[in-house]
Amino acid sequence: MRKNLVFEIGTEELPPSCTGEGVSGLKKILENKLAENRLEFEDIQTYSSPRRLVAVVKGLSELQNSKERTVAGPTLKVAFDKDGNPTMAAEGFARSLNLEVSDLEEIEVEGKGVYLGKRIIEEEKKAVDVLPDILKDSILSLTFSKQMTWADHDIKFARPIRWILALYDNEVIKFSLENLNSANITFGHRTLSPGPINIKDADSYFKLLQDKGKVIADAVKRKELILNQINQLEEDIWRGNYRVVLDGNLLNDVVNMVEMPNVVIGNFPEEFLYIPKDLLIEAIQYHQKYFAVLDKSGNVSTKFLIIQNGIKDNGGIKKGNERVLKARLSDAAFFYEEDKKHDFNYWADKLKGVIFFSNLGSMYNKALRLKKVSAYIAGLLEGSRLHEKDDISTNLATASMLCKCDLVTNMVVEFPALQGVVGRQYAREKGEKSEVPDAIFEHHLPRFAADILPATDVGLILSIADKIDTITGMFLVGKIPSGSEDPFALRRKASGIVLSILKGKYDFDLTGLISYNQNLYQKSFNFRGISDLKISTGIKDFIIARYRFLLEKKDKRLDILESILGSGCCSILDIDLRYKAIEEFIESEDIKKISCPMIRCKNIIDKKEFGEVDVELLEEEYEKRLFSSVNMKEKVIKDLMCKKDYTAVLAELYGFGEIVDLFFDKVLVMDKDKKVRSNRINLIKKAVDSYLLMADFSRLTIEGNSRI
Amino acid sequence: MNFQDIIFNLQKYWSDNGCIIKQPMDLEKGAGTFNPDTFLRCLGPEPWNVAYVEPSRRPTDGRYGQNPFRTQFFYQFQVLLKPSPDDVIDLYLGSLENLGIKLKLHDIRFVEDDWQSPTIGAAGLGWEVWADGMEITQFTYFQQMGGFMLKPVSAEITYGLERIAMYLQDKDSFWDLKWSDNITYGDLHLESEKQWSVYNFEVASVSMLLDLFKKYEKEFERVIGRGLIFVGCEYIIKCSHIFNLLDAREAISVAERTSYIARVRNLAKILCSAYLKQREEMGYPLLKKE
Repeated sequence: MRKNLVFEIGTEELPPSCTGEGVSGLKKILENKLAENRLEFEDIQTYSSPRRLVAVVKGLSELQNSKERTVAGPTLKVAFDKDGNPTMAAEGFARSLNLEVSDLEEIEVEGKGVYLGKRIIEEEKKAVDVLPDILKDSILSLTFSKQMTWADHDIKFARPIRWILALYDNEVIKFSLENLNSANITFGHRTLSPGPINIKDADSYFKLLQDKGKVIADAVKRKELILNQINQLEEDIWRGNYRVVLDGNLLNDVVNMVEMPNVVIGNFPEEFLYIPKDLLIEAIQYHQKYFAVLDKSGNVSTKFLIIQNGIKDNGGIKKGNERVLKARLSDAAFFYEEDKKHDFNYWADKLKGVIFFSNLGSMYNKALRLKKVSAYIAGLLEGSRLHEKDDISTNLATASMLCKCDLVTNMVVEFPALQGVVGRQYAREKGEKSEVPDAIFEHHLPRFAADILPATDVGLILSIADKIDTITGMFLVGKIPSGSEDPFALRRKASGIVLSILKGKYDFDLTGLISYNQNLYQKSFNFRGISDLKISTGIKDFIIARYRFLLEKKDKRLDILESILGSGCCSILDIDLRYKAIEEFIESEDIKKISCPMIRCKNIIDKKEFGEVDVELLEEEYEKRLFSSVNMKEKVIKDLMCKKDYTAVLAELYGFGEIVDLFFDKVLVMDKDKKVRSNRINLIKKAVDSYLLMADFSRLTIEGNSRI
Repeated sequence: MNFQDIIFNLQKYWSDNGCIIKQPMDLEKGAGTFNPDTFLRCLGPEPWNVAYVEPSRRPTDGRYGQNPFRTQFFYQFQVLLKPSPDDVIDLYLGSLENLGIKLKLHDIRFVEDDWQSPTIGAAGLGWEVWADGMEITQFTYFQQMGGFMLKPVSAEITYGLERIAMYLQDKDSFWDLKWSDNITYGDLHLESEKQWSVYNFEVASVSMLLDLFKKYEKEFERVIGRGLIFVGCEYIIKCSHIFNLLDAREAISVAERTSYIARVRNLAKILCSAYLKQREEMGYPLLKKE
């Protein structure tokens, strides 16, 4: 027989971040512990509300699975003497199992022989007898990123545990933990249903909790309920004239802050509408977790939504929340007005007192570096389409010095999520032309995976400069991400660099930029005993690894990337262009015509020193042909490389392959005459170098090409 | 309910629930937590249940009397329960009901707010309690004080008296609150709030404050060397308040902040360690009163 189990850990109000950790942890722990204990089940689902973590195990077997195990003792030879009497060894073994020798049996172990032993069938215990330990252990093994203790207990949890409900069908799974005993009692909404609620059996838990307790324990349902209510407001009551700003993170937080959601509409005084839109929305959302409402033209309206923990408002809740938001907005207005009294010079000066990172100087130092690094990047791009926009360097220099300033404004100190947004707003207000304010906001992008990227060149370059500067600094002080540890989100920053380069189509060598940035640090702070080369190679590889990660996510071939890296190419854009050309080439042509001849060449020249080819020593027709072909190809390919026409390069190499193959077929490289031999190898090396201009095609893993 | 009646009411309630009722300490401080009745008494194994009003000062929160409920001076009602009782939240909710708040008609919410006071090496987990969105109480399970892990753990309940009064009296501003039948909170505090805001932000002498900080720090070291723990405690409170004033004057850069905080925390650590040792030597007298 199979029955359902409901297991509820009743707590004081859990932080929204802990409910997520709690349910996923609880599910994993229960799955493991039930399997370990040979209890079969159909399915485990977990649920949560602020005051409970719940696991429901469906179709949980009443009995453990049986398990037969074999215990082998001494071999028969050792177990019995010549006369067939049991030896000391046999008797000792029997005693260890609490049995007589006569109870034991012969056990054949394949390939090893026959032993004296016993087949033991493990007792099938009842689920109700093993569940108490399983459930108790699962509470003890649950961990949270922030834990606490309470009273004089030893147990650690996200918040104090106040009750435990454990019902297997209609039977209580009894155990105790500190001063608590598990039971069939739960508690509902704190104020709407303060008393204990008896639950008769596992299947009636959710219904009783909702009907009597006024609690919806399923977060998905609570979210649906909120969205339905909002939808109803927008469609039926506001008739499309107002739209709620649905911030996903805020919604998830709110869902986990209420046990029974109810949407209430509030209003705030018009006088605050003058606060810039982004700042106003954040002031509505940040502390109080309200939702802002926009009017038809997209401006913030005086309406806002409160997601109340309850079911009905007689007006008091609306009024109370309105009073609070009014004060919050008057605070935001105060900060905004205070900030207006200052300018960017004042803030830039204050940056001198803000530490960027221990041993890496102040944010002001960082801004100065950004000015240089972004100018350096712009310099690398000179001649490309950027140059047409004459004032990019002026804008970059201005934006570099302003982009960190909002860190010290009252507004950002109060609302940290507004970093960048406040800077953009204030730069606009101070009359900066639009490229600068936009870049101030954009240099933070992307802030998370799949976030938008900067839209302007100034924003893109500043974003790259800021991220490379942070990564370089962190590598210099040894904060290099390893394994799953990446506390400063450097991987995300490196991904941002890759994406911004690709978006801006910026072709420049990473190594030059990294060394330049590193030198800036070395000039101000002396990092003794650090190998510059090791660090810069580390940073270059770290960034290229993010490009590799992008390919991996798209299930793309990594051997193509490896072959390109084999050419020593260090420009992300260039790597990407070559990648696309090779990828496309492979679709229609046989890349082996390029890779195999190259491999033939490489196999013969391994580990040798090379010199110039001596024309006088070229004797045979096909080596003369190869020589003239190499010279010609080298020139053509270099030319095409400059134009980044990699499809044409591949076509050239494709044709070149035939000449190489003919050479190998017709000419014996290992001539008796040392000079001739060495000259031929020099020629082959020249051929390899022509391939290597674009990629080391021998690294491509294509069937049949790895060895020839 | 008048402001003064709220205080009487809470004192009676917590006295009925086993707390001793103490009076405020005669020293400027940022919160009731700095009062040795919390700061020190939360340390060690002795049980301790206390409630008291604490006038509190947060110079940077001054708004020249213009914000309806952000001020540089306000009153806290502090309750410390050690060890934290199992029904501590119910006890707290009971105190709200006792004040006349009908729990069923309002949205009472416990919103995560982990509390830290780096200056005294203190940390705890808990909530701010919202009543219809208004933060009326800070509720904390103390985990650490002076860098020492606490066992047993105390529950600290800090009521914001003005906010509760606004709520009960249905007023939109501190200044309109009725202190007694014919005197308002504004009558008592508005003018001084304006003056202190001017002083904290504009007038306070930075050089004097920097000098005092150094002197008080030195004095702490002198008295703690003589085993004068309660005297030392007051010098830490003074240092902490001076630091807050310097902060309001924007006299401390973000970089220096860290080192100032570290200096006070260091004193707090020495103090707590000395207190723990002294109570142990005294044989934990309050354990015997149980």
